[in-house]
Amino acid sequence: MKKFHIEIVTPDGLCYDDDVESLLIRTDDGDVEILAGHTDLLASIDTGRARILKDGKSVFASVSGGFLSVTGGKVRVCSITFEFADEIDVNRAKRAKERAEIALKAAKDERDERIAKAKIARATSRIHVGNMK
Amino acid sequence: MAGASMNDIKSRIKSVTGTMQITKAMELVATSKLRRARENVDKSRPFHEIISAALNGIMSSDSFGEVVWTEQSECKKPLYIVIAGDRGLAGGFNTNIFRLTTSHSAGREAKYLPIGKKSLEHYRRRDADIVCDRHGYVSELSVGACLDIADEVCHGFAEGRFDSVFVVYTKFVSMISQVPVCEQLLPLKKTETVSGSGVEPIYVGGSAEDIVSKIMPEYIGGVLNCAICESLAAESAARRTAMNAANKNASEIIDTLVLKYNRARQAVITQEITEIVSGSEAL
Repeated sequence: MKKFHIEIVTPDGLCYDDDVESLLIRTDDGDVEILAGHTDLLASIDTGRARILKDGKSVFASVSGGFLSVTGGKVRVCSITFEFADEIDVNRAKRAKERAEIALKAAKDERDERIAKAKIARATSRIHVGNMK
Repeated sequence: MAGASMNDIKSRIKSVTGTMQITKAMELVATSKLRRARENVDKSRPFHEIISAALNGIMSSDSFGEVVWTEQSECKKPLYIVIAGDRGLAGGFNTNIFRLTTSHSAGREAKYLPIGKKSLEHYRRRDADIVCDRHGYVSELSVGACLDIADEVCHGFAEGRFDSVFVVYTKFVSMISQVPVCEQLLPLKKTETVSGSGVEPIYVGGSAEDIVSKIMPEYIGGVLNCAICESLAAESAARRTAMNAANKNASEIIDTLVLKYNRARQAVITQEITEIVSGSEAL
C-alpha cells in the first residue's frame, strides 16, 4: 500500500512522526480513515480510539481532543493526549474512571459535570485501548 | 583595639563565605533545572506552532465568517494572564514582568489571572481585580491545569466578562537573554491570506467556525503551556545569571576583606615590635 507521512503532536511534544499506510481516527462525526492522497480535510477529534496501519501492522492508541488536518498531502494530528496501547496503565485508568464517576455524582454545576464526563470518556477509551495490546 | 577590628573582619569573612556557599548551591540547582526546562520548551513548541498554523489556515479562507473569537474590540476590559516565578532571587525576572504588564494595562480596566506565587502576591498586595487565584505554583502546573485555565478564559471571553486576553511571560531566548513579552491571545488576529491550494477542505464535525470554537480552549491551553515552559526556563536562566553575579561579588568582597585582615594583622605585629624596641631603648 502507498505510504504517506503523518505527524502527531501533543502539548508534551511530538509523539509520532513516520510514514504510514493508514490512519483511522474518531472525529465528532464518527470514524474517519485517511489513506495516501486524501483530499484536504479538517476535523475535530472526539475522545476515542485511533489506529495506525504501518507495514501491514496495526497499532492502537487512545486520543482525546484537538483536530486532524490534511493540507496538501500533509497529515497532522494535534491532540491533547495520544497514548499508544502499550503505554496505557489499565488499572490506573480504571481507578480514574471510578473517581470521575464519583465526581459526576457530586457535580454542582454544568462545568463540573462536563469535566467529569470528559474524564469518564477518556478513562473508558484508555481502558478499551489498553486491553487491545 | 586592633584585635577587635580583626575579629570583626574575621566574622564578616565567615558570613560572606556562608552566603557564597548558598549562592553557589543555588547556581548549581538553577543550572540543572534549566537543562530540564529547556527540554520542556523544545517539547511544547511544536504543538503551539502547528495549532496556530492550522487556525490561521482556517481563518484565512475567504468564506470564513465572524465568530466570537475574532470580533475585534477596543481592548477596554482586558484580561492579563501574568506568568511569573514562585521565588525571588532571580535578578529582575519578576519585576520586569510586572513592569511590562503595568505599562501595557495603563488606563484600562484590567483584570488579572496571576500564575506563580510572586505574581499572585504582587496582585493581591495591590488589590487588583483577580479572576482566579488558584494557580499559586507555576512549577506544578500540568497540561491539564493549563487546559482548565484555558477553558475558564474562553468561557469568560464568550460571556463578555473581558473583551481581550493577553498573556505576559518571559521568553527564553538564550542562556543570557530572557525577554518579557506580552502577547495577544484573544480576539484572534486575522493574518494575511495565505495563498493555499484554493480548494476548500472538507470539514468534519461541523463548519469551519464550529471547529475553531471547539479547538479554541485547546489552542489557548497549548499557548499557555508553551508560555509556562518558556517562563520556567527563563526563570532558571535568570537565577543562574543572578547567582553567578552574586558569587563573583562575594569572592570580590572576600578578597578585599582578606587584604584588610592581613593589613590589620601586620599593623598589630608592627605595633608590638615598635613597643618592644622602644621599651628596650628606654632601659
